[in-house]
Amino acid sequence: MISKIVVPNLGATGADVTLVSWLVKTGDYVKAGSPLFSVSTDKAEMEVEAFKDGYLRKILADPGSVVELGEEVAIISDSMEESLPIVIRKSQSLTANRKSTQPKSQSGPEAIVSSHRRSPSTPTQDPHDKLTVDGLLGMFRRMVLIRRFEDYLHQLFLQGLVPGTLHQCQGQEAVAVGVCATLRRDDVMFSTHRPVGHFLAKGTSARSIAAEIWGKATGCAGGKGGQMHLVDVAAGAMPSNAIVGANIPIATGAAIGFRLRGLERIAVSFFGDGTTNIGAFHEGINLAAIKDAPVVFVCENNLYAASTHVSLTMRISEIAERAKAYGIPGRSVDGMDVIAVYDSMAEAVSRARQGGGPTLLEYKTYRYAGHSRGDPGGYRKKDEVQKWRQSDPISRARKSLIEEYQQNASDLDDLEQACQEEVEEAVRFAQASPDPTTESCFGPVYAQRGPT
Amino acid sequence: MGSRKMTMVEALRDAMRLAMRSDSSVFILGEDVGVSGGFGGGFTVTLGLSDDFGHERVMDTPISETAIIGAAVGAAMTGMRPIAEMQYGDFVFCGMDQVVNQAAKMHYMSNGQVKVPMVLRLPVGATTRGAQHGQSTEAWFMHTPGLRVVCPSNPYDAKGLLLASIRDENPVIFLEHKLLYGSKGGRKERTSLDPLAEVPEEDFEVPLGTVAIKREGRDVTLLANMLMVHRALEAAAELELEGISAEVIDVRCLAPLDIDTILESAKKTTRVVIVEEDNLTGGWGAEVAARLAQSAFYYLDKPITRVAAPDTPLPCAASLERAYVPSAQRVIEEVRHLLRD
Repeated sequence: MISKIVVPNLGATGADVTLVSWLVKTGDYVKAGSPLFSVSTDKAEMEVEAFKDGYLRKILADPGSVVELGEEVAIISDSMEESLPIVIRKSQSLTANRKSTQPKSQSGPEAIVSSHRRSPSTPTQDPHDKLTVDGLLGMFRRMVLIRRFEDYLHQLFLQGLVPGTLHQCQGQEAVAVGVCATLRRDDVMFSTHRPVGHFLAKGTSARSIAAEIWGKATGCAGGKGGQMHLVDVAAGAMPSNAIVGANIPIATGAAIGFRLRGLERIAVSFFGDGTTNIGAFHEGINLAAIKDAPVVFVCENNLYAASTHVSLTMRISEIAERAKAYGIPGRSVDGMDVIAVYDSMAEAVSRARQGGGPTLLEYKTYRYAGHSRGDPGGYRKKDEVQKWRQSDPISRARKSLIEEYQQNASDLDDLEQACQEEVEEAVRFAQASPDPTTESCFGPVYAQRGPT
Repeated sequence: MGSRKMTMVEALRDAMRLAMRSDSSVFILGEDVGVSGGFGGGFTVTLGLSDDFGHERVMDTPISETAIIGAAVGAAMTGMRPIAEMQYGDFVFCGMDQVVNQAAKMHYMSNGQVKVPMVLRLPVGATTRGAQHGQSTEAWFMHTPGLRVVCPSNPYDAKGLLLASIRDENPVIFLEHKLLYGSKGGRKERTSLDPLAEVPEEDFEVPLGTVAIKREGRDVTLLANMLMVHRALEAAAELELEGISAEVIDVRCLAPLDIDTILESAKKTTRVVIVEEDNLTGGWGAEVAARLAQSAFYYLDKPITRVAAPDTPLPCAASLERAYVPSAQRVIEEVRHLLRD
């Protein structure tokens, strides 16, 4: 549950008080009754306490700012996974200056930037200027969560503790996170057999994913899906698809439906380099193109279709070139740079939302792990893996946060540690959850018709 | 509102028009379905609908069966009620992944989080076009959990079943026999039956999961669908002259299957002949026979008999096709054989 923290009536005579300082930081778990922030009124300086337990998710008023009684100054929630409403702070510029020497913002990592379109009044040469520190921190946190989740699962897998299959995405986090950060909650995302990163990026809880992998009743699909078939419709994460290419026409259809109804929603299809050779890719993108469907096609080119190198499956070096065949824009982008992913995706999303039709985005990325469990990746040279690891998306975002956004390394360490704890807690939850009932095997095969 | 005589094509078109008027989430997509000056899909079923509803809601597509079905799946999963058309039922195999792996499984795989309320219309039946333009494909879908399979034999059922299918919350495979359409002009089939029927002009539904007893009888039960219903009725009329009373049941919906009505009839007549246009092996008749064997075995006086197409691809020549597709005469002979001693 999301709760707002407002400035209480402090018995002040004036309508406004000054928020002096925050006593907790974003991501902290606060207990009811513990102090959250201090304010000064015309009478005194005092501390305001939390009225309930929860995670401090977002701070909406900076220290030193004047706030009204009853004004919302922060958001807390029962879990770190609940999506926050987008709040635009009227008083603040949404555009962070990467080179600024402003004091470190205390705003939290959850605030995925609310303005990805460049304001016409603030033209800038540097596309990175579009990202606030909150935005980058939010994406950093998501990437770390994915990496920790996948690494922890791998560790457990090696101990024989993970049931079912496993398709991991270490190395590809920037694509999942940069793409999903540009989406609204009701935009729909169609994922693949390697869905964990996409789902964590779109806002599905680590708990429900872990429980699904463990085949438990508490899993996002009640144990019916497994690792390849995650689903979280409330978060706009549609059932992930383990048939290569199948989600391309499906995403197109969702987008066509949105357009027919005059909705501003868009659809996103994730797929790999191998998918661009299957017929559904051609049919789906072509149909989307001729119908101006609001859909973005996101190719995660990790160079390998299972074990087969991309050079063995096509004669072009840039998959984005295939966009030309459909008369739509196509771009090849560094998929190890979350900011570049974010920027390119934001542009494609904006085009789709404004009726400009689909875009094919190729993100050049790499999966550190094998294709699936039991694939040690013997078809790749060690130095190739090493080379890609040197442009690790998480390391790069971290460097950027410290050097350009003036973030404190130890705060980032804390954030990483919090992600680790979240992941381990999610797995404990999964392991402790009950198996689905035997009866649940038999349904639901058919949806029931409601009253007409 | 009264009723009027309609062909199957008119009844189907009427159903789609009513559904589109009453629900803005209903739209049509397929090849040649809405082209101005075109022919309204393979068999004129959608003729004129793009004039009424525009080219957005009667959406022409490229020759891309995977994309047609896949787009219907995606639209259905996110709030629409698409009606997708295959120009010929045989072409569904180009998009079979979207039917079997996607449409049919999404509700279950997502543990009920999504539903796929779509209709996939398939013109079927042998019409001297050979092996790739005339198959009866219903058994492929009856085997797949998650799909409804509907196969009307007459204009009244066509309208009522199509309206019920559009409003069902699941993917419905809706088979239409080309010899029953009553298409006009250049799209008319030379050997077509084109049944006309009095069909209410109002909005009505025939519930899915029902069969229809077309003729009551005492001595034998004939189970048939689509064109074969007409062959069975022709056989029953002929058999009556010989003093044999045949009950004819139109199995107009294969999934869900109203096995109870079928069992009841079988127990009454003690003899069953299943008439299907599909190949013999693994056809819908095989499933019905198995269920009869399990649940009505002790009531039956004679082995359950199937009259079906042989296990070969469909030939093209009219003479060969006549030999291939079950005729009323073959049904009569099988019944006579069953009643001989």
